[in-house]
Amino acid sequence: MFKAMLLKEFILLLRDKYALAALFIMPSIFILIMSIALKDTFSSDRALLSYTIIDLDNTAESAKLRTFLLSNGRLKEHKVLITNAAQQQEALNGKLHFIISIPKGFAQNLVTEQSASLLQLDVASDVKQEMLTLLQGELVMDIIRLRMEKLQKELAPFLPDVAQKLEAMKSNRDNLIQVRFNAMGKNKKPTSTQQSVPSWIVFGMFFVIIPMSTVFISERKQNTLMRMSAMNISVPVLFAGKLAPYIIINQIQVWLMIGVGIFLVPLFGGDALTLGNSISGLFMVSLGLSLAAIGTSILIAVTADTVEQATTIGGIINILMGAIGGVMVPKFYMSQSMQQLTNISPMSWGLEGFLDIFLRGQGAGAVITESLTLAGFGAGLLLAAGMILNAKMKRGI
Amino acid sequence: MISIKNLVKHYNNHIALDHINLNVGKGVILGLLGPNGAGKTTLVSILNGLIDFQEGEIEIFGLPLSQELKAIRQRSSFTPQSLALYDNLTVLENLRFFAGIQKIRGKALRHNVDYAVSAGRLHPLLDHKTGILSGGQKRRLNIAIGLLNNPELLYFDEPTAGIDPESRTSILETIRSFKNDGKTVIYTSHYMPEIEKICDQVAILDRGRIIRHGLLDAMLHEEKADSVVIELRHSHEAQLQALTRKHAMVKVIDAATMTIDGPDATQLGAILAALEAEQINIKQIRYGTTNLEALFIRLTSQGNCDV
Repeated sequence: MFKAMLLKEFILLLRDKYALAALFIMPSIFILIMSIALKDTFSSDRALLSYTIIDLDNTAESAKLRTFLLSNGRLKEHKVLITNAAQQQEALNGKLHFIISIPKGFAQNLVTEQSASLLQLDVASDVKQEMLTLLQGELVMDIIRLRMEKLQKELAPFLPDVAQKLEAMKSNRDNLIQVRFNAMGKNKKPTSTQQSVPSWIVFGMFFVIIPMSTVFISERKQNTLMRMSAMNISVPVLFAGKLAPYIIINQIQVWLMIGVGIFLVPLFGGDALTLGNSISGLFMVSLGLSLAAIGTSILIAVTADTVEQATTIGGIINILMGAIGGVMVPKFYMSQSMQQLTNISPMSWGLEGFLDIFLRGQGAGAVITESLTLAGFGAGLLLAAGMILNAKMKRGI
Repeated sequence: MISIKNLVKHYNNHIALDHINLNVGKGVILGLLGPNGAGKTTLVSILNGLIDFQEGEIEIFGLPLSQELKAIRQRSSFTPQSLALYDNLTVLENLRFFAGIQKIRGKALRHNVDYAVSAGRLHPLLDHKTGILSGGQKRRLNIAIGLLNNPELLYFDEPTAGIDPESRTSILETIRSFKNDGKTVIYTSHYMPEIEKICDQVAILDRGRIIRHGLLDAMLHEEKADSVVIELRHSHEAQLQALTRKHAMVKVIDAATMTIDGPDATQLGAILAALEAEQINIKQIRYGTTNLEALFIRLTSQGNCDV
């Protein structure tokens, strides 16, 4: 009986090119695009901020400040002629994030005890707070360097040892802090592939909602379910007959997407995905996710009246769960309250489980909670769907 | 074969079946007739265990339905009105799937599929995708699926709805042939000529009650004494409706057929004169006879049922 159901679901799916695209091609393309698009996220040489300098001081110190900024890989200077407010506004509406104005008297005021501002910073309105903080930090550090150099020069004739020490301290700026990423080897960084693949695997697995609910509603509407019921197929058997093939389909999706991360992304210049330390943990999370996705699909298929309703509702639920669950916007970008909210999305549970395996180097033990929660969620939805379907069938709907 | 005693089914406050009593013997082809909402589908659904009922007793094959549903279903089959098929599977894949879920395997699978293919005249279509078949071919497949478990009892709900006359004839011949195999058939349809053609017995349902049940021939014989059937050469629906307003005994069967209940010579003469005045050409007049449609319309309380 299961063999017949399994075969039927596979044949129906293989003959539905749109379902195949939604299940296998779309998530793979997502992984490819996102991994490549974000491949420089963890590179310290990637320019994040663009700026121009208006130097009204024209001194050796202001020139040095400019040199310091130029040597910073995170910053990119653009030569833009700005002589009036309109040009300034236009520049900040365009490609510039910041305009750094060095006023007359900058060099002179560098080591005075006056509390007046040394620089003027004009900021584009779409600049994020963390970008502003980053530039402010860079500028403060460069000003301190300039002050130290000036003090060093002034101290050199009187305290040569101190001046020498200050000179030596200047050179090891980049090595002051050693960064070590959790659960990663020395000098190893997380990659965009490692971070984005789990997200899109989770998202892709929930795409089963569309083909599953389409087939299920057609079966309901054409009375194929009723016919099966008259052939002694009970609702639990019917659901089991759906679960088995779609769990296999989900597993194929997972390994296809992992394959894309390992083999395809590097061909396009991205970092290759590494599997982590626990294949069993990976299976546990993906099985839990399968149950959650299939439970959601069947509940939608049972409650919706038409295929159009199911695909619309399914698509919206998928996107909402992805948005809330940290698939589309990583959790750490979210506010505290939003981060709390992610806990209601099963996609977030699955994503945390996958990140434990792929990114944090954890084993199967670490993902038991996530896997069981997902499986429980799926089982709960299946139970609800079963009750609704039974009631509908008894009423002849 | 089927024994129904005091069957009651209601949906909230609406009574769908009101103390139904019905016995159907082995090898009988029973036509279940009734206007829309009479309770035909409800009755067939209950007999297939698809919906519950509140009161009464049902035995099929001598087994109580409520306790032995699984065993009863293994020996019966239900062909719904809708085409309960998979359009993206081929004809053979559909047959194998429905056989597979009934745990029919090995030799029995081959034998039963062959039988269903033969009965449905599906040989040339086995590798065709179901979605591209004609309406008649799909209907034949719909019926063939119902034969896969080699049932002793078959339920057909409007199995010829919306198909061409040739396919209809072929399906009716197939269903009629089940009688030779000793199978029992419960057949619901709105097409009275079909029922007349294949059924031995008829049960007429109206508002949840069986208002007449018996042998078809006997029922028609009882009715024939004083009725006249007039068939017209062309459709004249509007004129016929006008005629019914003038003469209460006239009943319109369709746009080209009418019956007159118990007319005397004067009344019959007046009606024929009225037809002549309207320049309506008569094709045939049959005295002392009736057909199932006329009987059905007379018996059921709704004159506007779907016939």
